[in-house]
Amino acid sequence: MKNYFNLLLVLTNRKIKKAGLYPGLGYLLGLAVFILLGEYLFQKTSFAKYLVILSCLSFQFQLSEKNRTDFLQSTFGDKTKNKIRILENLMVSIPFVSILLYKSLIIEAGILVLCSISFALVTFHAHFNLSIPTPFSKRPFEFSTGFRRTFYLFPVAYALAFIAINVDNFNLGVFSFLLVFLTTLGFYSKPEQEYYVWVHAETPRMFLKNKILHASKNATFLTAPILISMLIFYPSEVALISGFFLVGLLFLWTIILGKYSAYPGEMNLPEGMIVAFSLFFPPLLLTVIPFFYLKSVNKLKFLLNDKN
Amino acid sequence: MIKIKELSKLFGNKEVLKNLSMEFSKGNIYGIVGENGAGKTTLFRCIAGLESYSGEIISDVKPLKNHLGLLLTEPFFFSMITGREYIRLLCNARGKTNVDIDNKNIFDLPLDQYASTYSTGMKKKLAITAILLQENEYFILDEPFNGIDIQSNIILTEIILKLKELNKIVIISSHIFSTLSDTCDEIHLLRKGEQIKSVNKTGFKDLEQEMKEITIGNLIKNLDLK
Repeated sequence: MKNYFNLLLVLTNRKIKKAGLYPGLGYLLGLAVFILLGEYLFQKTSFAKYLVILSCLSFQFQLSEKNRTDFLQSTFGDKTKNKIRILENLMVSIPFVSILLYKSLIIEAGILVLCSISFALVTFHAHFNLSIPTPFSKRPFEFSTGFRRTFYLFPVAYALAFIAINVDNFNLGVFSFLLVFLTTLGFYSKPEQEYYVWVHAETPRMFLKNKILHASKNATFLTAPILISMLIFYPSEVALISGFFLVGLLFLWTIILGKYSAYPGEMNLPEGMIVAFSLFFPPLLLTVIPFFYLKSVNKLKFLLNDKN
Repeated sequence: MIKIKELSKLFGNKEVLKNLSMEFSKGNIYGIVGENGAGKTTLFRCIAGLESYSGEIISDVKPLKNHLGLLLTEPFFFSMITGREYIRLLCNARGKTNVDIDNKNIFDLPLDQYASTYSTGMKKKLAITAILLQENEYFILDEPFNGIDIQSNIILTEIILKLKELNKIVIISSHIFSTLSDTCDEIHLLRKGEQIKSVNKTGFKDLEQEMKEITIGNLIKNLDLK
């Protein structure tokens, strides 16, 4: 078990080095960005605690992926696998629990620890012969696979929007709307294998245009129930709601372009910092988007055989 | 037509393809054989435009990659994509949007299940179906017979012969010599990145014998089995 965690550390350090940083500095920077983001969230919305808990659980959800759990079970056996999984989830939860404790949200921190432990013990043994239905099956893959991975979040977001309207809490409505957008951003966080870019008979510009167009259409479809309800019940806030929607779309474009600007590598610290700065100052997106776009076109030229 | 002129490829200081020249004509099937590490997959990746190289690769239909059906040795599938969506993804990528997938599901695959739950052979059959439905002019099939059952093997051989009839170019690599000798018009032998020889149908038997002798040599004798 100790060797396993040592190996995890080596792999993480390797990733940080690949981003061009010394591991120690990488951890420090990561921590700083996390604290700043946390502070920002708590300043901006009273629902930051839910966002913190959900973010932590979504990281942990990725760790309980079936193939990964199967590998741990076959290598270490049932007992050690459970220990490893609990430790992993607790390690992931440390920064999230710390921020909740710092904000004196002791009950929430306790709930998160309990959830982290119980989540580690859940094993998804079922072999699904039928797939989770998705409205995005016609144009795979980001939204069709992403929707299946996170489908449980959408009823939560819609329920929050319903509650928000019922208790007349505009901020909660905005939060539910942002939750859907944040989830869709995750669909574009990892670069796909080069074959799935190469296979397109398109120029880089067409390829990016189509990616952005379909992402915008799909994100609008997912946010539409909240957006329409909010517009009906808060007609005086039409400018603010439209503003949030537009910024959400711009962030979606930024993440897509950011992904391909680093392609075939993963988005690393430079791209991450640019996105983080844009979060604090959204007008920055107006320069970030063209910058990422030009970089992406350049990166895709070889694979898409664009000689221009 | 695909023409390869003096193709070389370096990985760092290591030359993995050395000055290869070949020509592939329409309506013909070509085999590429060689031991592991001979450079077969790298050659395919260069033709597809997935690797940079020195030398020249010319095709009559341009750009070659947009008309090429590429079957990788181990096709990769996203974790929650169904067979049907995988086919749609590959067809959409080539602008084919109204494909009757159900009628063309010749390997009888469970298309509404996640591709990641398929067996190795089923995954290969799915990838083959997808590139066939893209309606390509050229096909590169890297180890197409690996892992698929005997019935599908027969179907695949017939598909390859049908592609020949349709005047397509098919380039195949396989470790199973008989699958190549049944279908190919010409076989190129690669060894350590070099083109050792090119043989047409009449020379296949001698090539197989030669490959056996080179590969096995005294190895079995050295085992001293009792």
